[in-house]
Amino acid sequence: MSEPFLNIRGIRKTFGSFTAVRDVTMDIAQGEFMTFLGPSGSGKSTTLYILAGFQDPSGGDIFLDGRSLLATPSHRRNIGMVFQRYTLFPHLTVGENVAFPLRIRRRPQAEIAERVRAALKLVRLEGFEDRKPANMSGGQQQRVALARALVYNPPVLLMDEPLSALDKKLREEIQFEIRRIHQETGVTILYVTHDQEEALRLSDRIAVFSQGEIDQIGTGPELYAAPATRFVAEFIGDSNFIETSIVSTDGRQARLVLPGGAMIDGVPLHGAASPGGRAALLLRPERIDLQRGEGEGALAGEVYDVTFLGNNVHVLVGMNDVAPVSVRIPFGHAALAGLTPGERVSLRFNAADTHAFLEPPAA
Amino acid sequence: MLLDFDKLGALRGVLIGITVAVCLFLILPIVFIAALSFGSSQWLIFPPPSWTFRWYHDLFADPRWFYAALTSLKIAAIVTVLSVVIGFLTALGLNRGRFPGRDALRALFLTPMILPVVVLAVALYALFLKLGLAGTTFAFVVAHLLIALPFSIISIGNALEGFDKSIEDAAILCGASPWEARLRVTVPAISHGIFAAAVFSFLASWDEVVLAIFMASPTLQTLPVKIWTTLRQDLTPVIAAASTLLIAFTILLMILAALVRKGPKT
Repeated sequence: MSEPFLNIRGIRKTFGSFTAVRDVTMDIAQGEFMTFLGPSGSGKSTTLYILAGFQDPSGGDIFLDGRSLLATPSHRRNIGMVFQRYTLFPHLTVGENVAFPLRIRRRPQAEIAERVRAALKLVRLEGFEDRKPANMSGGQQQRVALARALVYNPPVLLMDEPLSALDKKLREEIQFEIRRIHQETGVTILYVTHDQEEALRLSDRIAVFSQGEIDQIGTGPELYAAPATRFVAEFIGDSNFIETSIVSTDGRQARLVLPGGAMIDGVPLHGAASPGGRAALLLRPERIDLQRGEGEGALAGEVYDVTFLGNNVHVLVGMNDVAPVSVRIPFGHAALAGLTPGERVSLRFNAADTHAFLEPPAA
Repeated sequence: MLLDFDKLGALRGVLIGITVAVCLFLILPIVFIAALSFGSSQWLIFPPPSWTFRWYHDLFADPRWFYAALTSLKIAAIVTVLSVVIGFLTALGLNRGRFPGRDALRALFLTPMILPVVVLAVALYALFLKLGLAGTTFAFVVAHLLIALPFSIISIGNALEGFDKSIEDAAILCGASPWEARLRVTVPAISHGIFAAAVFSFLASWDEVVLAIFMASPTLQTLPVKIWTTLRQDLTPVIAAASTLLIAFTILLMILAALVRKGPKT
């Protein structure tokens, strides 16, 4: 592996007795697109603000190219940042906004003009130099903010939910632009979002934050196929959880009893467990094989609801003593055509596609 | 709408009547004094028997009026600059600071607005007398600064309230030091509040008379003090002429302020 570029070492942040960030550690390679994904209050934004220098950590250190960043004030860190809210300078034109970081750095006039033009070209806003921010759409303003953050070639670009104020269609359009810009410039990006789809679409790797800690770091497919915790499983992709009890385990895999009495063997188990303990079994809606009638499936139930969602169909299956399970089947699935609420169905799945997460013992 | 003006019927006439009466009440004294300044009667008789520019001629012929106006202008200008600078720093501290007693401090800064000016004047006079500063420009400026500052703190504070601090943070990450960011980004972005602070501070000093009477000396008199002392000696229409010019200048300033404030929105 190449020399680590940006190293976050045991960063901790407490506000009084509340711990916002606890022991966040990660290595980010040069040119990597790393996303901090998590719900609000999970510590992802606080970590980003510590990187920007707007907050001091209570402990830990950050190294950029082998040197600690913490002693450097924000304005000397040479880091780019795009904020959640629109932060263009309202009294300056688009051109002057993008030129601002270069003016501060006292670059020669000719160089400023050249680089402003290139930066606006990068975000596809050539010819907007003389516009005032107030006369631009939210999407355009964020693209100008991106140009302003990249015009001085910072080694690291921080993005704090930059698209959360935009509507869905525009958001997807700019996600595509961000991806293209990342590929064209090769800048290292740290991106904060609570939107799993956005994280999956943009990132090389994703760090999933929960309650101030990183639950797991990995590529999208890794997080989806092998979630380390129940939280990650819930946050990446859609999920069903079924209460089961453990019959036997070798520590890595387990043999479980399902609510209907059926056994399932070889389920990957997360956490040390003993027989008789309880575990939540993760079933992905798209990894369930739905059969008509009471077949040989591991679970049996009754169709509650069928919803057409375009290229696939969402079926909600109710069972005795278990929360309804959602199943996704491709539209036009011949054997399941005309499925209606009230029909009996059975569910089958591969043990290798599932995961079991230990449940704390019932109090 | 519930209270649609077009549907009020007979009440409409009453409303229009009240509005006209209030307007007349506010404007008539000004019209009256302006008319007298052009009247030929030496005894300020209304309506004037005939019209003349004589009092304006007398006014401009007497250099003491000119010096009084100059003194007013000088003190108001210094007060304006200091009030805006100190008001900006104070408002910034009150807006950004997180410290115990912040609300109490904010209230304290605004007390000169509710304190009777005479009380303030007597207290300041006693203080400056003891310090040997009575009758100096310095004392004059400090006294007027006291009553001008609340206007600055309020209007700049309101402007800062509506300014997203993330914009300043963005400037800092762009490489600007915190003070560079405030001067190059925050100040221009809240310029309407700073301009309002400047206009109100100027006017607070420009037509202030109570403090000015206490701070004045025979050689240091502002225009309102000059009007007041002249008034005590004899009742001449020159005072009406001076007052009219004072009012005209004030109105001009208000119109200018309204125009500037309208500016950025178009």
